[in-house]
Amino acid sequence: MAPFAHHEGRRTFLRRLAWGASGALLAPALLQACGRGPGGGGEGADKEGADKKGADKESGELVISSFPLYIDPSRPGAPGSVERFQRDTGIRLRYGEDVNDVRQFFARIRPALAAGQTLPQDLVVLTSWMATRLIQLGWVEPLPFDRIPNARNLIPSLRNPSWDPEQRFSLPWQSGIAGIAYNFKATGRELRSIDDLFDPALKGRVSALLEMRDTMGLLMLADGKDVSRPNWSDAQPSFDRLERARRDGQIRRFTGNDYQNDLLAGNLAACIGWSGDVAQLALEQPDLRFVVPESGGILWADVMLMPKGARHPNAAARWMNWVYDPPQAARIAAAVQYISPVEGVQQILAKDPATAALANNPLMFPDPAKQQRLHVFGPLSEAEEARWDERFARITQA
Amino acid sequence: MNRNRLGGLLLVLWSALAYGLLYAPLLITVLFSFNAPRGRFNLVWQGFTLENWRHPLRDAALGEAFLTSLALALAAAVVAILLGALMALALARSSVRGGRWIALLLALPLTNPEIVLATGLLNLFVGLNLPRGPLTLLLSHSLFCLSYAALTLKARLAGFDPSLELAAQDLGAPPLQAFRRVTLPLLVPGLLAAGLLSFSLSFDDYVVSSFTAGETVTLPLYLAGAFQREISPQIQVLFTLVLLASVLLLALASPPSGENGRYRP
Amino acid sequence: MPASPQRDRRHGGPRIHRPPSHRPRWPWLLLAPGLLWLLVLYLLPLLSLVPLSLSEPVSRFGLETVFRGRLANYQEVLQAYGPILLRSFAYASLATGLGVVLAYPLAWTIRFRGGRWQPLLMGLVVLPSLTSFLVRAIAWTSLLADQGPLLQLLRSLGLIAPLEALGVLHDGRLLNTASAVILGLTTNLLPFLVLPLVVAMQRIDPVLLEAADDLHAGALRRFTQVVWPLSRPGLAAGILLSLIPAAGDVVNPRFLGGPNNQMIANSIDNLLLVQLQAPRAAALTLVLMALISVAVLLQLRRGLDELPLP
Repeated sequence: MAPFAHHEGRRTFLRRLAWGASGALLAPALLQACGRGPGGGGEGADKEGADKKGADKESGELVISSFPLYIDPSRPGAPGSVERFQRDTGIRLRYGEDVNDVRQFFARIRPALAAGQTLPQDLVVLTSWMATRLIQLGWVEPLPFDRIPNARNLIPSLRNPSWDPEQRFSLPWQSGIAGIAYNFKATGRELRSIDDLFDPALKGRVSALLEMRDTMGLLMLADGKDVSRPNWSDAQPSFDRLERARRDGQIRRFTGNDYQNDLLAGNLAACIGWSGDVAQLALEQPDLRFVVPESGGILWADVMLMPKGARHPNAAARWMNWVYDPPQAARIAAAVQYISPVEGVQQILAKDPATAALANNPLMFPDPAKQQRLHVFGPLSEAEEARWDERFARITQA
Repeated sequence: MNRNRLGGLLLVLWSALAYGLLYAPLLITVLFSFNAPRGRFNLVWQGFTLENWRHPLRDAALGEAFLTSLALALAAAVVAILLGALMALALARSSVRGGRWIALLLALPLTNPEIVLATGLLNLFVGLNLPRGPLTLLLSHSLFCLSYAALTLKARLAGFDPSLELAAQDLGAPPLQAFRRVTLPLLVPGLLAAGLLSFSLSFDDYVVSSFTAGETVTLPLYLAGAFQREISPQIQVLFTLVLLASVLLLALASPPSGENGRYRP
Repeated sequence: MPASPQRDRRHGGPRIHRPPSHRPRWPWLLLAPGLLWLLVLYLLPLLSLVPLSLSEPVSRFGLETVFRGRLANYQEVLQAYGPILLRSFAYASLATGLGVVLAYPLAWTIRFRGGRWQPLLMGLVVLPSLTSFLVRAIAWTSLLADQGPLLQLLRSLGLIAPLEALGVLHDGRLLNTASAVILGLTTNLLPFLVLPLVVAMQRIDPVLLEAADDLHAGALRRFTQVVWPLSRPGLAAGILLSLIPAAGDVVNPRFLGGPNNQMIANSIDNLLLVQLQAPRAAALTLVLMALISVAVLLQLRRGLDELPLP
């Protein structure tokens, strides 16, 4: 009987262990599934946010998501905008540099907004074409312009833009130019036109942007086409040209911001790039230059938007008003070296000897002649965009 | 015998090449943690400096992502070893009908490319209206960790002689005590190994996380985003520190050399 | 010690005849949580991809889809991404092949020449896999850069032209070419080949090798007649764990490849993120699954013993 008894004992023990373990493990899982869990520190799935809007008079908090390296950072002894804003207003600002890729960001916010939920962000900074999309989807609030008196400082060229014709939902953060960035030593000569990117001598050392509107816009301009009303059949020759270049190995990569890395490392001789990036790069590597192509450059803007149901619209208004104050705007401009949307920045920069050179930078303050050569890529309808995205994806993804 | 000597030399060289391939990127990274980059991308050697090591925590977002990944990996490993140990015990200690099929099911996630798991999980979470965040991350990570943990422990248990525990019971120990004092200690290295494996799989996971993380930023997700705009030396410093920690943990979790030296028929 | 019936290892004790109604149920309790996990988080998601792959998005930006039994999704996806599928498996096979060539001698050295240092040597093989593979990919971009150390070395050795002729280099570049992607893949999967080979070789008694020597078998004969047959199961397991994950790799093509070297996982990612086409992404995912399922099931049925687990 002895072995049998032990057997039974062991069986019983293991059985008890099994029940206990199953219960312990399954119970919390079931509870969480029923209660939908905490939902993460990010996407708050709560609808009460909308009710709290009324209570936010000077609630003292603000959450912003923007692109990285797009604001003057805090240095020891020289507080950046985020710090100074908090000091001046007493509003606690959580400034997140988590918009790495506009599409990825859209994928992150899409589920919540599609379900009518509130995002944690009060303001997001996104590229203008993404703004169009969000506006059309009704996922953004009209901006409280009555509380942003400094919005009148917006430079004329960015007023009532094609992505927000009534200027109700967006306020530009920075603007910039997509053009040709190149390494003078690597190319051995000055580059002037898009055709230079297709020069066989530069084969395999050229890149283009994954940002379709910038790449295709520049190519279409080189073809003499009108990009303010982008036309599918107009675009075909440009698509074909790009595809050939990719297939032949002329184009080494399609990049996001990381073309900067390759330019510095010497992997790229020339590429399509953005004006502010190159301005900052040129400080480290003087051989790097930026040029607006002869056929024209693409003017883009990143804009501030307020997601639907944002909890702190007053604080957001104060931020927007604050950064549109010319002295503040000047400090941001001096750091990022893009085109500031605020009037009066050029004069302020000119007065300070440390930043006087920037005041004369034609990429930061394009004169009217140059502005003639800058074009904004017009809006695409949903169906059109799908077509363009598909063709472009087939070229860049292969 | 000269031919043997030559053959031996070739073998050693070949092996050195293989090790070199494995370690080249690690060495470069450690080296660059001492680099003084001129700009934002720490990829071109400029000059030696200890500055990066003096301020390893300069990047707050990097530190946050690191801690998030750490916590997530610990949690995923714990879930995986718990569930996995139970499954392993059941599979190794009994002939459950369909045991082979269950083992097969366990092995399937290992053989799918991560993108397949990721797409499926994303669709599941969207369908269940589950917001993507720490919970979905934990669930996703614990899934592939479970497979590794369960199969690891099953393999370890299969090599066990259960008569040890029975002997203890024969000597009068109650079953719980027999399990606790005989089997469990022998299981500990296996649990450690399974836990370590699960931990490192979760810590370094990118594809599944990119689909199921929502707003949560794990270390690989942070790095993937950061690499687009800069490669700060702090990243290489962190990598070197993690490497050192891995070396330590590996040393701790390795079975004693005696066991491996033996040849099992 | 009282006499006892023959111990049956599987039952963990003396074999006792048990009527069918007393079949043990406790194993199922232990298995239940894990099984639930697998069913809900693995099988269910995969199965849910099937109806999704036959659906259509209701609107471009919303998340709803409507089931339409749309087989055309598969047709479109195969047409558009067929070449990339082929390319992915080609790259993965090349990387695995390269890996096997590197792994065999290494495994041999560890098993038969390692002696006391075997665990350390194996640990050293595994260690890189425990580190961030994103950081390793970045390190490779540094190593393989146009002005980087490897290319400078090749230039000084005058190897650029011959390698170009062999197709390894493209226009004198290594980065953003197929070679770089395959190199990255190989480095990633090498440990998964070495480990099962070592484990399999541990079952080869050195006596057998000595016997082969005594019978005057050359090294080649010794390999083909002794080592190869006995280590084949380990090799099969290693290939299973290497080739398939490699075919679905995302990071190596993204960092080390050019637009002509992208692989299928990048396409699935693009379909989901850029083109917002969840049904097509699901269809492509299932096609990928189907392609690997055959090989997987064939191998797994033979047994799971060879999987390289610690």
